Amino acid sequence: MSEAAPPEHYETFVRLFVSHEGRLRGFVRSLLNNWDSVDEVMQETSLVAWRKFAQFDPDTNFMAWAAAIARFESLKHLRRQSRDKLVFNDDILDLLAEESLEDTEHLEHQRAALSTCLAKLDTRQKDLLQLAYQPGVKFHEVAAQAGKSTQAFYKTIQRLRASLLNCAERQLKQSGASA
Amino acid sequence: MKRDIHSLIQSWLNGDITPADFEQLQDELLHSPEARQQLRHEINLDMVLRDHACSSLDANLTPWVQENPPARNSKSNANPFLRSWVPWAAAAGIAALLTAGVVIRTQRNSLQASAKVEETNQGAAILTRVSNAVWTDQTHSPRSGDTLGTGTFKLASGLAQIEFFSGATLLVDGPAEVEIHSPWKATCHSGKVRARVPPPAQGFVINTPQMEVEDLGTEFGVEVKPAESSTEVHVFEGDVNATPIGSKLVHLSEGEGLRRCNAGITPLKGNRSKDFVCLERMDALTQNRAKTRFAAWKEWKKQYCEDPRLLAYYAFQRSCNWERAADNDAPKVASFCTGGIVGARWTQGRWPEKDALEFKRPGDRVRIRLSGEYEGLTFACWLKVDGLDRKYNALLLTDGYEHGEPHWQILEDGRVMFSIASPPTSDGQTPEAQAYYSPIVFTHSNLGRWHHLAVTYNAISGETTHYFDGRQVSRELPPQQPPGCTVVYGPCEIGNWGLPAAGHEFPIRNLNGCIDEFVIYKNPLNNVELQAMYQAGRQD
Repeated sequence: MSEAAPPEHYETFVRLFVSHEGRLRGFVRSLLNNWDSVDEVMQETSLVAWRKFAQFDPDTNFMAWAAAIARFESLKHLRRQSRDKLVFNDDILDLLAEESLEDTEHLEHQRAALSTCLAKLDTRQKDLLQLAYQPGVKFHEVAAQAGKSTQAFYKTIQRLRASLLNCAERQLKQSGASA
Repeated sequence: MKRDIHSLIQSWLNGDITPADFEQLQDELLHSPEARQQLRHEINLDMVLRDHACSSLDANLTPWVQENPPARNSKSNANPFLRSWVPWAAAAGIAALLTAGVVIRTQRNSLQASAKVEETNQGAAILTRVSNAVWTDQTHSPRSGDTLGTGTFKLASGLAQIEFFSGATLLVDGPAEVEIHSPWKATCHSGKVRARVPPPAQGFVINTPQMEVEDLGTEFGVEVKPAESSTEVHVFEGDVNATPIGSKLVHLSEGEGLRRCNAGITPLKGNRSKDFVCLERMDALTQNRAKTRFAAWKEWKKQYCEDPRLLAYYAFQRSCNWERAADNDAPKVASFCTGGIVGARWTQGRWPEKDALEFKRPGDRVRIRLSGEYEGLTFACWLKVDGLDRKYNALLLTDGYEHGEPHWQILEDGRVMFSIASPPTSDGQTPEAQAYYSPIVFTHSNLGRWHHLAVTYNAISGETTHYFDGRQVSRELPPQQPPGCTVVYGPCEIGNWGLPAAGHEFPIRNLNGCIDEFVIYKNPLNNVELQAMYQAGRQD
């Protein structure tokens, strides 16, 4: 506890944390089974990271350092969950954690590309996606709101997802070629 | 049948994967780097979609996020986490850390809360009153005040009054099984119901296995006996259209009835009004019940006040109209524990004979002062929340926030937060307070009715337990070491924050709701005691 960094480091910490937050979230989601847990773990991770910030060596990679904390917090969270929940086994968690870190940069480019692709969709498609991904809702409930059967709604969303992923991939290839 | 990796990942992301499919997914992930990469890509996409959905949702969020409406960001700044961190970064300071942490979580959860609220408000009816109701499914027994969605409600015995959003009222006389389809339509599968349908609800339909009854603005009764395959309808007032399944529509007027038994259709005299419970009878029963409950509570309170562990007990029962003191009924406590009521007005509590205090305006509060040091505490109150207007909505807060002082409040997203200020560390720094959160317990569909809320805290171990309606909803130990200090109070306020720390980001924390009974103990009570407290004081 007494190791907490002096207050003047606070802004540095916030700046670093904010700039890595997106990557960390994706990383944590790969280990956990829902987004609500991700929120909780990110919360804990931010607090623990700040408490331990004095130990962080500025010459090293903040992402790797924070990801180690996030990984530990995720495991703690998974252990707290009851046994009947579907939790990946440790071997898979290790693999996912390791590869997510290696893949960080690519994933970030993919997110940027996905956002661009998302912006290109028409309003109706955007509305559907917004409906499907509002926080805390379930697919079959929003399907009812959209006036479709769950199955039809699910298929539409799947098609949109696939086209977004394709679009992002094309974009990344193009920018890779031109760079 | 083996499913492809894509659909397995989708099920996992949607949270509806079966255990067998999960096994298969694990297997694929373990052996295939491509599967793992696909998982990462799908998660990435999920994240982008969620962030965009979140940011577009902000625009519609006024009811729950009034004080600090999130800025309407451009798409380029769509990350909700980022948005909550930026203003915080500007106001950097260690003391702000915890608060800011709360803000992040609160904002996310309030988004979720409002999304859920939209969904629950799609209910079809409200269970307005019950009398000795026993529900067949004990685990999902609705309470009066609950919003009812579509679905089947099985009443084993007793009476239930259901008011549909269309305006129609059903009185269900158990045993009965009623299925709600919409604000305009219900099916009576068995038992007796009486429907009262005012003009705006004309067209309300009750189906039975043998008949469809459409109301034309009236009062009528329906009785279904599945064993005899029979349905009877009796019109007490006005008109209805009854259509026996597979037969022609029959128009029935006041005093007429119809019986369908298997294939046979018989006209009846609709004069069995007395056999169907009516609203007046329901009124009388409810009143009697309230009297009994109130008497039982008074009896229980006498014993209860003898408990030496009590530090203060505010029953909020006035002795005269201009009463501005909240008496402390715990006998072994000095008189200066009497609370001073500021602003808050007297109103009806859980029962007609019971008073409560209503907190509405920013100035409303009850000021109390408690002395001594304690190794734990229990706070418990009967509370009716009318709205969660503030980021923090006060239940009991000490003036200021010195070490060892507890704060108990409801967050705007419907969670309860208990926190205790920690003493300075040996090197003179002030560590963050220990805060403990319940899950979301207040939602739009349960606001506006009486709930029992309690928290217990053990100052030695730091263990904190939240209770809602007698049920433990969370139990937590401190993440690091226990705070290592006893509980102290000094001047405090119920329903408000008397002395906000200078320059605090959220100084206004007044409660919007009513409190009828507030109890403070010197020790943490256990599950059994809190369940008993809830049972003794419950409204019906």
